[in-house]
Amino acid sequence: MRSFLNQLNPSLKAITVVLLVCLLTFVFDPFTPLIYCMFTVMVTIICGKVAWKWYTLYFSVIFLLSFGMLWTTIAFADQPTNPGVTMHILFWDLPKEDVTVAAALTLRMLAFASLSFMFIFTTNMVDFILSVMQQFKLPPKLAYGVLAGYRFLPLIKEELIQIRSAHRIRGIHRANGIKGSIQQYKRFAIPLLAGAIRKAERTAIAMESKGFNGDRDRTFYRQFTLKWKDWGFLGMMLIVFLITVLFSMKLGYFSWYKGQF
Amino acid sequence: MINVSELSLWFDGNDEKAIIQTLSFQLNKGEAMLLLGPSGSGKSTLTRCLNGIYPRELEGMLKGDIHIYDHSIREAHPGTISKQVGVVFQDPETQFCMLTVEDEIAFGLENIRTPSNEIEAKIDEALELVQLSSYKHASINTLSGGQKQKLALACVLALQPNYLVLDEPTANLDPKSTKEFIQTIRHVWTEQQIGLIVIEHQLEGWITFINRAFILSKTGKGIYDGPLVKLIETNREMLQQQGIRLPKITDLVLTATRQNKASYKKIPLSNEDVLSSVTMDASFLERNRVEIAKPQKKNVILSASDVNLYKNQQRILNQLTVRLYDQSFVAIVGPNGSGKTSMTRLLSGIDRPSNGDIRLYQRPLNEWQEKDVRKQIGYVFQNPEHQFITDTVYNEIAFSLRLGGEHRESVIQEQVQNTLSHCELQGLGHLHPYSLSQGQKRRLSVATMIVDDQQVLFLDEPTFGQDAASTAKIMDLLEQRHRQGTTIIMVTHDMDLVDKYADRVLVLEKGEIVADQSPDQLWKQEKSVIKRWHLDYPNRIQLKQQMEEDRHAFVSKST
Repeated sequence: MRSFLNQLNPSLKAITVVLLVCLLTFVFDPFTPLIYCMFTVMVTIICGKVAWKWYTLYFSVIFLLSFGMLWTTIAFADQPTNPGVTMHILFWDLPKEDVTVAAALTLRMLAFASLSFMFIFTTNMVDFILSVMQQFKLPPKLAYGVLAGYRFLPLIKEELIQIRSAHRIRGIHRANGIKGSIQQYKRFAIPLLAGAIRKAERTAIAMESKGFNGDRDRTFYRQFTLKWKDWGFLGMMLIVFLITVLFSMKLGYFSWYKGQF
Repeated sequence: MINVSELSLWFDGNDEKAIIQTLSFQLNKGEAMLLLGPSGSGKSTLTRCLNGIYPRELEGMLKGDIHIYDHSIREAHPGTISKQVGVVFQDPETQFCMLTVEDEIAFGLENIRTPSNEIEAKIDEALELVQLSSYKHASINTLSGGQKQKLALACVLALQPNYLVLDEPTANLDPKSTKEFIQTIRHVWTEQQIGLIVIEHQLEGWITFINRAFILSKTGKGIYDGPLVKLIETNREMLQQQGIRLPKITDLVLTATRQNKASYKKIPLSNEDVLSSVTMDASFLERNRVEIAKPQKKNVILSASDVNLYKNQQRILNQLTVRLYDQSFVAIVGPNGSGKTSMTRLLSGIDRPSNGDIRLYQRPLNEWQEKDVRKQIGYVFQNPEHQFITDTVYNEIAFSLRLGGEHRESVIQEQVQNTLSHCELQGLGHLHPYSLSQGQKRRLSVATMIVDDQQVLFLDEPTFGQDAASTAKIMDLLEQRHRQGTTIIMVTHDMDLVDKYADRVLVLEKGEIVADQSPDQLWKQEKSVIKRWHLDYPNRIQLKQQMEEDRHAFVSKST
């Protein structure tokens, strides 16, 4: 059970997340996303093997951001239709309408975040791409291109550090101001690009030497299939969403998104 | 059988100069040949023809043909030749597209549609062949350069090709990994009975099991095809002209012979050959380098005391304490990852230590203005391209001089011209630095670091991946600078260079200086100690030891 999420088919898991994000955009009240967000975090905790340190860190960043968003939405809200109905929060009396809109937006963002993190923290990037290739016919040319690029990222970072210190040795000092740093990056760009193009060409040739021709007709060492539990997960997430919506309707919180902001 | 017939190749925009000219040779399965030639002789272009990338991807013209068994490369569909010809390339970093060892080997097998249930067995078999079985689940990033090359080899072997082409496979490896890799190839070649083409510019190691040599000239012409030993005996000038490095031991014995200090029955190709066929005057094996008159009083230029460096909670350097003196030539040696580069980066002020004190002329380095430090200390990086800033060779050298703003343009011009000729780059001033050859790039990066008369010069493996001629030129240049009083500190794996040029060696192991002595003292260390430090004796010492052992054996036999 601890790694149920990690064992799911990556591409169907992605579809589940995207589907729910789409459904959540139609809802415009604070209550539904709050409940659903809590549910998603709970699922992640119970059924996922996750790097908790990073999960908490990422979540706290999003939390801070959403708090800022809550604040600005209230502060820069439109003229409310019923300015008389107010809420008392700490030292302020605020129009209830504005607070509801702001909370709905903020909690929606948190719900999106919890869903994305559930996916990101329980999915291996390579597995995801391999699975998209197998289940959804992503062209191998694209898929292996992305994988090769993924391998390059740390190499390029390392090279940038090298170039920066190599240029410092030549007597170019840290840039001042925006103009200076744009110029600086222009100077870095040439050796970096020259290196990257050469690397990419070499990798492409090496891939072809191993018989790669971009054909869809290939076998797979790691096979990804769709099992009942993958569909079960999709079903469960949808049903819980439905229940949440019904529940908040019953309590009278529910509201559709009708283009308000 | 591979049959290359009358192959010529031109790139677009350079119609009059062919990269390869009317090349012909045949190679049967089970045979091996060394394809030798200087940089720029079209070796890598030929590799691309052999695995069918050219002419399909060629922007240019190809005449003649290559047949692999009955199939012409002109009709090759992408990826099909890989079942016949496997290639291992030079750069260990850029041959992979997956993250783990098993996935990478599986990638090739998937491409040729090996049934899924047979893939794992084939992966195991290939890993077994290159002795990497215990790394099956490892991430490729964690492998060393030598292991990466073995993995690249395993990847192509898994496809069971009839031919193997190795395109300078050891150019980016240190001597120890090179030795291991060549051994692995030898093992694979005898085990699998495949055809082998090794493209190289040095002979060390290969020559003991590959007899046939095919030599390409600078202009891309085949100028010799036959037994290598015969060529060394009769026409070794040709090899030298083409920048091909003889095995060091062969070179040593031949030089001794020329000075009438040795004679041989058969040209020695490896250290083992020497005893049976060479008689040598022991005096030749004494260290003979011209001592440079040293000042009586040694001035400390750079000093570090109790310097520590941590990265990601890992200790890179531990309690480093060292003094570097005026006008010395220091070599820094040790296994990969022992902190050699980190140490030079700290001492030259590129990086800051986690704690500890580094002083330049008795004054703490962090109290110096950066631009004043740069006037004292130069640093040549492993990849020269990283250091290039401007778009001509001339401006590249003039850049540092102009930066100070204290020289007039006429003075600058004179100084640049001097430096250009000093570094054998005359006449190249108008070219773009990127268009130079590897050796020229390296010399240019040295040039930019000495033009301002810097007193201290750090070099990170300056001879790495260079052919014989280019190595000699760089070392000459450094020797000259040293004579003029520059302090040189060089990270290297090449013990013969250490022996010939350095007057002091620092051995690093796991971030600590474990030895600090003259080369002569270092060579007196026990074999087990030298091995633990991943070092080797230089060739003359190895020879001396062997001859002594032999004499002992002889003496004990006769008494």
